[in-house]
Amino acid sequence: MKLSAALAPLLLAPLAAAEHTSNWAVLVGTSRFWFNYRHLANVLSLYRTVKRLGIPDSQIILMLPDDMACNPRNAFPGTVYNNADRALDLYGDNIEVDYRGYEVTVENFIRLMTDRVSEDMPRSKRLMTDERSNILVYMTGHGGNEFLKFQDAEEISAYDLADAFGQMWEKKRYHEMLFMIDTCQANTMYSKFYSPNILATGSSDIDQSSYSHHADNDVGVAVIDRYTYYNLEFLETNVRDPTSKVTMGELFDSYNPADMHSDPGIRYDLFAGGDAGARSRLVMDFFGNVQNVEIDAGSGKDETQWREELEAIDKMILEAKRRHNETLNLRPQAQHIMEEAVAMEPQQSTKKPGAVKVDTESGWSKQIVGAAALLGFAGVWAAGSWLESL
Amino acid sequence: MSTGGNEERKNPPPETKHSLWLRRAVIASFWAVVAFLGLPVWWKTTAIYRADLPLQDMTAWANGQVCKPIFPIHIAVQAPLLPHDAHHLIHATQQTLNDLSDFPAHQLRLVFAEPPQPANASQQVVADGSGTAELDDTVALAVRLIPVETGATPRSQLQPFLATLDIYYSPSQIPSESSTNSPLATYIAQELHQLYAQERVRLSGLYSNAASQSESLSPELAVQLQRDSARAFKYAPTYHLTFSLFTPTSTPSAWDIEAALRQYMNPILESFSGISNFTIDTQVQLYANFSPSIRQPEYDNDAKAWTIFKEDVGGFINAAEWPLSPSIGRGPTINFALYVPDEAQSPLFVQGSRDNSWLVPQWGGLMILNPQSYQATLTKEALVPAMQVFSTQLSSLLGLPQTPASLPLRISTLIRIHATSLLFSASSTLGALAQVYQKMPTIPVPDPVAKSVDLSLAHLHRACELLRDGRFQDALENARTADGEAEKAFFERSMVGQVYFPDEHKVAVYLPLLGPVAVPLVMAALKEIKSGIAAVKGR
Repeated sequence: MKLSAALAPLLLAPLAAAEHTSNWAVLVGTSRFWFNYRHLANVLSLYRTVKRLGIPDSQIILMLPDDMACNPRNAFPGTVYNNADRALDLYGDNIEVDYRGYEVTVENFIRLMTDRVSEDMPRSKRLMTDERSNILVYMTGHGGNEFLKFQDAEEISAYDLADAFGQMWEKKRYHEMLFMIDTCQANTMYSKFYSPNILATGSSDIDQSSYSHHADNDVGVAVIDRYTYYNLEFLETNVRDPTSKVTMGELFDSYNPADMHSDPGIRYDLFAGGDAGARSRLVMDFFGNVQNVEIDAGSGKDETQWREELEAIDKMILEAKRRHNETLNLRPQAQHIMEEAVAMEPQQSTKKPGAVKVDTESGWSKQIVGAAALLGFAGVWAAGSWLESL
Repeated sequence: MSTGGNEERKNPPPETKHSLWLRRAVIASFWAVVAFLGLPVWWKTTAIYRADLPLQDMTAWANGQVCKPIFPIHIAVQAPLLPHDAHHLIHATQQTLNDLSDFPAHQLRLVFAEPPQPANASQQVVADGSGTAELDDTVALAVRLIPVETGATPRSQLQPFLATLDIYYSPSQIPSESSTNSPLATYIAQELHQLYAQERVRLSGLYSNAASQSESLSPELAVQLQRDSARAFKYAPTYHLTFSLFTPTSTPSAWDIEAALRQYMNPILESFSGISNFTIDTQVQLYANFSPSIRQPEYDNDAKAWTIFKEDVGGFINAAEWPLSPSIGRGPTINFALYVPDEAQSPLFVQGSRDNSWLVPQWGGLMILNPQSYQATLTKEALVPAMQVFSTQLSSLLGLPQTPASLPLRISTLIRIHATSLLFSASSTLGALAQVYQKMPTIPVPDPVAKSVDLSLAHLHRACELLRDGRFQDALENARTADGEAEKAFFERSMVGQVYFPDEHKVAVYLPLLGPVAVPLVMAALKEIKSGIAAVKGR
């Protein structure tokens, strides 16, 4: 007993450290147009923060539907600010936008999350996660009860989002996920999630708006939303460098509904370990990148030995090749032809897949309501034409 | 109506039978169009095509009910003995091996191979590899028994670049017919068991994926395996290697990397060629600054060197500004970065040591090179230390086990590990696809998915059989195809159930469209049925 108790920390420490091996961030703004300046500033602020805490650009997917820095109405061309003091230019000279303008659509977002992208999609626009990756998903825009608008043209529903995450879980595409959303009635967006290991937080309850923090009179519009502002304030003041040990619990405790003018929500129940498990996670588990480096202590072998080894490997390979060639001459080469046939296949099936309309048969009660409504309308119509015929 | 006043209201003349039936035929034909054309078209155009998938098979594979991979490792024993004695020795050794085995799927099977030169068997066989040439390619290891007169016996020596274990024994140690246990047999069995210890642990780890095997492991080994698996890249058929030179100034501005790679990297890559393909690119980045989040190097007077802080090593790579993600090629990128510090800040080491290289798990490696002299071009010779570090790092990034000492053995271990993990990963992907298929009835499933699933299942079966036969290289190829097809099936582009429609939306879509058409149709039908009933009654 004693021995195992003594060994426990030894065994647990590497296990805990090995829980995730990479961090990814998906930052999505969903609104266009100048008056939605603040949403883009929200996203860029988060982008700057995760980059500051060490997530490389290759592991950040940034979706910006509009370019505020180059908007003709921008009094400060080439810049985006999230504060009226204009101390910090979020746009800077080094941002990598992965999806811009009209590429920011519901379809592309779902494709990104489930990795159902075409073969020619560059790697920088793909979410290449595995079961050892932690993902931060941040979304902001205009939303409502169980939906979030994309570019005033379409909307993503809470069900779609939940299904996308569900598929990601099935395919082991994440280890843990932090979902943050800053929009009106934000908390409804994560209410349909059902996949494990998602920690979700939103800016406002159902029937509540999410408000902007303040406007910059020279820029002429609001520059940041309250929920994002207070999150950033916490991250800027308390998580100053990548070695920070601040927990998610501390971040959540800093939320003050009076400041935000809405009730931020947090959903713990999907997370392993529930309430306590989620709260004890480090902020850096989601906002930063894993920093496990292994310093090569005293570079092992000496050089001459290494050179000899290389030569030996060379010889070994030559030998193997010789033997391989011998067997190759004996063996019929049918296998090769098979390979070619397989390689030919994808070209034939280059049918361009489009979006597919989807029907959901959920809940008979809703269907009955729908049918009743239809019948009602039909009845009114029938009554009208009957009256007319009198 | 009653403006005329005096007469009762005039009825229209009674309908002729002909016009009555004509009207009924017209209404019926409209309804026929609705029922036989409209409805099928609506049904057809709104239906979601879902190809049939062998869901039960897929789930069974995912649950591991179909294939329990076993790893029979054929070991050829070459002994300068009479066949009878040799068989006895092999039998005794095999028995001991079977008793030692703690992971039943991993089976070491001894077979007797004719020694290459039976005539002068007492001579020591020259270690030039010719001895194994005629062995069949399922043989994973050759054990050569070599009788010697001097030195401690039995003793063993593993050839570092051949899959050959030499056992030196004195002729007196050959077990006699009568004895049931012989020290030589026990010794060989233990050597072999030890040789495959790490492989057994890693394979059984893949099997259970849990800490259930940890009781049989020493804690240090468990920790090391955990570290190894966290460090190595996931298997990919192709890896892309990027070699980058970073310098904060303008010198060196070139490096003789191509020649260095050819000489020092190629052998390693060649030896991995049975497992994965590699593509390589190189780049030079001048005026590469540290990221602002780390502290600048400081001069350490005791060590007479510049040092960077240990805590800053993780942030040394300026991910924001150094162009380290070229997105070239299809596979994951393994980065190797060579940093040549400013001449004024050279030599540069990690604080408290003279270490100057480190490995970033699942990312790559970095080395600070402090050149002897600063010239515009780094020569091939100057790059030797870097190449040495990088090749070591590459091996561990690719998951090559640390033991045993023989490279071919380690590579064949890696082949078995990858074949198994691919087998499991393909199975789990198929299981996930089956789950998605069942849970999300609104997702369309086109035919290519079914085709890929079938292909994947076929290759899985084949891989499983090949594993059983001990043909691990072929098993790896089949498992790789199976995994590729399974991934292709799961990530089929058109399988995006895009938008959830609330029922209110459906009403809003259909009502304006169908309402104006449906009402006259329904009213006409009702009227006609009513008059029909009335006519029948009045008759």
